[in-house]
Amino acid sequence: MPSTIKIPFGPQHPALKEPESFLFEVDGEYVVDVVPRIGYAHRGIEKALESRTYIQNLYLIERICGICSHAHTTCYTQAVEEALKVDVPSRARYIRTIVAELERIHNHYLWLGLLAHEIGFDTLFMYTWRDREIVMDLLERISGNRVQYAMNIIGGVRRDITPEVSSEITKGIEVLSERMKYYKKVCSDEKTMLARTTNVGVLKAKDAVSLCAVGPTLRASSVKRDVRADDPYAAYDEIPFQVVTNDGCDLASRVATRCDEVVESVGIIQYALDHMPKGSIEVIVSRVIPSDEVVSRVEAPRGENLHYLRSNETDKPARYKIRAPTLANLSALCKMLIGGYIADIPAVIAGIDPCFCCMDRLTFIDVNSDKTWNWKCDELRRHAIKWHKEQ
Amino acid sequence: MTSQVETNSNIVKRLGQKIGPENLLSWATPRPKRIFLSVHKGKLIEAVTFLTEEGFVHLSAITGLESEDGLEVIYHLGKGGLLVSLKVVVSIGHPSLPTITSIFPGAALYEREAHELLGLVFSGHPGLIPLVLPDEWPEGIYPLRKKWTQEEIRKKLLRET
Repeated sequence: MPSTIKIPFGPQHPALKEPESFLFEVDGEYVVDVVPRIGYAHRGIEKALESRTYIQNLYLIERICGICSHAHTTCYTQAVEEALKVDVPSRARYIRTIVAELERIHNHYLWLGLLAHEIGFDTLFMYTWRDREIVMDLLERISGNRVQYAMNIIGGVRRDITPEVSSEITKGIEVLSERMKYYKKVCSDEKTMLARTTNVGVLKAKDAVSLCAVGPTLRASSVKRDVRADDPYAAYDEIPFQVVTNDGCDLASRVATRCDEVVESVGIIQYALDHMPKGSIEVIVSRVIPSDEVVSRVEAPRGENLHYLRSNETDKPARYKIRAPTLANLSALCKMLIGGYIADIPAVIAGIDPCFCCMDRLTFIDVNSDKTWNWKCDELRRHAIKWHKEQ
Repeated sequence: MTSQVETNSNIVKRLGQKIGPENLLSWATPRPKRIFLSVHKGKLIEAVTFLTEEGFVHLSAITGLESEDGLEVIYHLGKGGLLVSLKVVVSIGHPSLPTITSIFPGAALYEREAHELLGLVFSGHPGLIPLVLPDEWPEGIYPLRKKWTQEEIRKKLLRET
């Protein structure tokens, strides 16, 4: 009779300090199967949106995510503006673009630091998080907030970018671009980094597409798909930029993709600042939205973000659906983990840049002995670093 | 050079030929990058298969919602920047429709979410188990159904505990 031992070790999680649960089936050091369970941070926002006005909803949408709050409100305001058949002033579209790209830089710096931490490269973690302060200060200078910038309103943006702020942004992003080029060099030269990322968490292009992956996770598997280029919104149709792809299909390729995206974002911001049209930054709109159905998409830092609005000629939506990028990448993540080492779990999970929301638990099942045990985040991380040292 | 809107209407025309024009209930292309389609629920698999063959290989999301017509299920399929929203309607009394996981394995999570929040049953799905609601969530409460107002849900949950 197989003896099953369960050791609950607190609801905590492997890669980020956020709540999701994966049930791993392992054979020795190999992961055989993964079953994800999410929803620990499910707050019923879609239901709540139906009982609030469009103006109130703006505040709720801003709080879907701590990092990509601007991406969500851009998607939301676009949907409402399309239903209203309102054109947003060009200057507002440029400001939305600038904040969106600063948000992307913020996200990618944060992500690189977290990944470095997961693989035990804490020097890089300290460096990237130090530099992240620059972009957070810029966002504070523009919006007044370091996170949850609340720049979007229905019909435009809340604040203008003055020439002084504009020159501060130029100075700041120049530093960020230089630093990121250096980190990319570090990530592609440094032996320990390469050992932990090359051929780890492989996701073939075919699987990435059939499993509905989006964003840098998809582009690092050599699929050129980016909402900014394919279905342009804000001012992206007027700004030249490259869609970064990589054909490595592994974690190293995800690192390179995000590093290059930061450099590309810096170019977008500088172009937008140099070519910003003059004029107003908002239009006054009706509070009642005519009956319509609208699908709105934006390229959030983590990938395609889709919102669906069904309006019914009241001041509240009949239905508002949100599909954030992490849900789209979850199936692909499970695919990456299967066949890999236990010790690579934290880095691979961090690799998709997941955004759930606060703590979690890992359960391991050894298929040979039927033994089950739980590990908390730090234990798995320590195991991973130790295991790789011994190899 | 044909315009995007013409291309869109050609796609819809070909779909109509494939599934039979009586099964194509309505369609619109409010702007060049969007197509909204409604097909008979019995033709869902055929319609999705046709669209994947046409190059709509990215399943962006599945939206479920309750309206006067019943429960609407909308499949958002992308081909580059062009997005098709394919709608089928099922009755509230019999909310069953086939799964599309054989075409898009990645649809499994989206269907589980719609199952939990709206009580839609995707027949043939490999495992319609809870995804986002708590383990102890009472059976039969589908929070996105209109009859379950926030007050009703709160009352029911308080009674359960």
